[in-house]
Amino acid sequence: MRDEILSRGVTRRAVLGGMAGVAALSIAGRVVAAGGEAPAWAQLTRDGELPPLAERLPKKPMIVTPFEKVGTYGGTLRRGLRGSSDHNGILRMVGNQSLVRWNLEFTQVMPNLAERWEINDDASQFTFHLIEGVRWSDGHPFTADDIVFAIEDCVKNSELYSSTPAQLSVAGKAVKVEKIDDFTVKFTFAAANALYLENLATPLGQHPTLFPKHYCSQFLPKYNPNIAEEVKKADVGSWTDLFRARCGDIEIPSRWGNPDKPTLDPWIVKEPYSGGATRVVMTRNPYFWQVDTQGNQLPYIDEINFSISQDVESLMLNVISGKIDIQERHISVLSNKPTLSQNMEKGGYRLLSLVPSASQQCQIYFNMTHKDPALRKMFADKSFRQALSLAINRQELIDIVYFGQSEAYQAGPRPEHPWYHEKLARQFSEYDPDKAGAMLDQAGYKMDGSGSRLRPDGQKVFFAVDVIPTLYPDLVDALELVKAHWAQIGIEMKVNTIERALYYTRGDDNAHDAAVWPGPGGLDPMLDPRDFFAFHPQGSRYAIPWSLWYTSNGARGEEPPESQKKRMKLFDEARSTADLSKRGAIMTQIFDIAADEFETVGLCLAVGGFGIIRNNLHNVPGKQPDSWSWPNPGPALPQQFSFTS
Amino acid sequence: MLVFIAKRLLWMVPSLFAVSFLAFVLIQLPPGDYVTTYIATLAASNEVIDQNTAAQLRERFGLEDPMLVQYFKWIWGILSRGDFGISFEWQQPVSGLIWERMALTLVLALSTLIATWGIALPIGVFSAVRKYSIGDYFFTAFTFLGLAIPSFLLALVLMYIAAVEFGQDVGGLFSSEFETAPWSIAKVLDLLSHIWLPVIILAVSSTASLIRVMRANMLDELPKPYVTTARAKGLSEFRLLVKYPLRIALNPFISTIAWLLPNLISGSVVVAIVLNLPTAAPLLLQALMAQDMYLAGAFVLLICALTLIGSLISDVLLALVDPRIRLE
Repeated sequence: MRDEILSRGVTRRAVLGGMAGVAALSIAGRVVAAGGEAPAWAQLTRDGELPPLAERLPKKPMIVTPFEKVGTYGGTLRRGLRGSSDHNGILRMVGNQSLVRWNLEFTQVMPNLAERWEINDDASQFTFHLIEGVRWSDGHPFTADDIVFAIEDCVKNSELYSSTPAQLSVAGKAVKVEKIDDFTVKFTFAAANALYLENLATPLGQHPTLFPKHYCSQFLPKYNPNIAEEVKKADVGSWTDLFRARCGDIEIPSRWGNPDKPTLDPWIVKEPYSGGATRVVMTRNPYFWQVDTQGNQLPYIDEINFSISQDVESLMLNVISGKIDIQERHISVLSNKPTLSQNMEKGGYRLLSLVPSASQQCQIYFNMTHKDPALRKMFADKSFRQALSLAINRQELIDIVYFGQSEAYQAGPRPEHPWYHEKLARQFSEYDPDKAGAMLDQAGYKMDGSGSRLRPDGQKVFFAVDVIPTLYPDLVDALELVKAHWAQIGIEMKVNTIERALYYTRGDDNAHDAAVWPGPGGLDPMLDPRDFFAFHPQGSRYAIPWSLWYTSNGARGEEPPESQKKRMKLFDEARSTADLSKRGAIMTQIFDIAADEFETVGLCLAVGGFGIIRNNLHNVPGKQPDSWSWPNPGPALPQQFSFTS
Repeated sequence: MLVFIAKRLLWMVPSLFAVSFLAFVLIQLPPGDYVTTYIATLAASNEVIDQNTAAQLRERFGLEDPMLVQYFKWIWGILSRGDFGISFEWQQPVSGLIWERMALTLVLALSTLIATWGIALPIGVFSAVRKYSIGDYFFTAFTFLGLAIPSFLLALVLMYIAAVEFGQDVGGLFSSEFETAPWSIAKVLDLLSHIWLPVIILAVSSTASLIRVMRANMLDELPKPYVTTARAKGLSEFRLLVKYPLRIALNPFISTIAWLLPNLISGSVVVAIVLNLPTAAPLLLQALMAQDMYLAGAFVLLICALTLIGSLISDVLLALVDPRIRLE
């Protein structure tokens, strides 16, 4: 777990257990000498208010190797949140306690609450063996019953979830979960689901370990006949509201709003995240089930204090005056870097660098399914898109907007990824306005006397590119340059700065000419392949109706052309191929077709963000992937972060 | 007088209905709905929501209903059982979210009002009585400076100085140990030790204009014959000023009480956000941006109610203070 491993690049090993019966590294395999516990707990144990450490820990607790060295107990970690919809800021820090987790390099799925697992030959059955003796934060044992309850009674309850979360259903059918014994559960899917382990390691894979049966069952009518009274007492509309308010869900603020709910996280809610809150405080979980190499119970740090800033500038002020211990969320934009670098000494921190998991800093999506037939025809013309790509002076753009920290790029896995695809990534990324002009001439977009290109129907070529200035100010700057580049070859473009809800509504209505967004799939091409074919109904903005057709199995949207349908089929195949090298071969076929079709125009490779770590905070990897699938900093295991006293 | 007050109270009912409906429509006017904004917010951090979950959120919040139906459901909840609905974003009853914030907002608004008047009235009177004196010029220059500096900038500068130069805790209305503590004398004292900064920042900008208004009104009154008469009868200069011209000059202050309450809530939004104050303004702004319409609607409704009550108060006060005004 050293920095250089990250920079050496990603080598996705045969991790995912494709081979039947492969057990993952058994971290919980050896027994460590009974170690220490936090001084506060030791006192409570002596007073008889807590059972002794040995009874709180599993017999064979999971051993975590600290990143630098064994830490010391104590301290409050300070971090910032924003006032609204920032619950994932908490999730990323504490809430990654799933059955499995990612390793630091984002290349391998590791055991977590499941110490090992077996997968059958066609990757449709997953048998997980849980660590024995793990307890919820209230001391109640965590067993297979909790997992069966979470999936069968909660997630598959049609009143609570009118449709099963995508991860847990394959071929339109929800997963079936059975208890084998107290510490073994079997997940059976209707068809192959080779990516399930990887999905399980992402935040959206937390459902199996989210709902403690002994607590959450009191909010289900099946287990509690008096639920109506509770609903009335709590002054909410229905039992489903009550359930969500008390037990939460993966991604809603109320997950962090109930201090009574038992969890498996290293820290538990003390002061909740609610509408009026000005801070959120989390305190150590006395029953946390991981220890360090000397057998000391984790976490090292006593409390986490998330201060809530309404305004990013005041968060920055807190950072540079040393009032925040680790932060990258909200402050990682490039324009903050000079300020943060200048104040390193004053604030007593060092910089944390984030390795982007995204592929593209700015992808331009021409709407190839535009409602206006003339525009549709123009955007669907491959040579039109290629010409526009050639007319962009990417080096100038990188120098001006991204301080020279990037390189020309189209789409596809990042250069360090084993599936890197040269043609997909680099074609038509050189600057050649003459060739671009010639291509446009040939495609029938002639220049008129005033230097504007005309469409074959005689109209001036003009379209708008939607961008959200409040979200990605750099994209507005980039587009302004692109606009100037395109003007040189006679193409008139409008930078359409709009509010973000409108951006989405326009996408949903298929009302946009073109739009920009950072392109994902750099390190996680299987998890978000939206730029390789019409995969994502909100994200594949060059053809949202096609992706609707794909996700609804042909019920909605618009039937895509053959080349898209072929890639959709290939992707389904890749998704159910357990063997990683075979999967890579299938994905390469998809990349080949995507490169031929050239549907999106990219500008440059995604630039890494950064954050800060206070100098007295240790065991924090100075380089972390930056991703939602690898919800930084969670997989870097904040439970082993430690302060020097 | 009582009849007048009763009539006015009755008129408030239809006004509130109209206002609440308008507010509801306005909140819904921007494109998309809460779920769209929610997805967009998550996407801003490159976070993804499960696609099935999004559709189901819409269904659960009743966002598929026509707007009129949504409005009547909401207003009926308020009328029948005082239920302001559930905040989409927080999954909490709205009433639980707004009261403490509204209370703190009122405390801040009243403190600012007292500070503004406390500074503006004496200076205004002084400037009028000692017209073109050095003191008059000094205060005039000083207050114009205050008027010219935007209050959020003043807040940022003061915060920067306090945080970086003095290592002070800035922002908020309470020290961290009191933030979630129940109300006590110590907590009130803690509030007082924090509230002066936002109060000064908010008071600075409005003081200047009030001083000018006061000065002008006093200058109007001072040369009037009744002042000369009173002076001729041997009244002391101070009693004379307070008893007659000041009472008349106060008229514009009192008649704007109605605007003060909503103004102090909406006018302090930026300052409250910069200073991280737990008042109504930041929560209202958030709710509006997230299209969390029951929460936003409840705030707007309350602010409107405050405006109506404020205008009633100013009418009654005017009748009491200014002998020229009669309600009959």
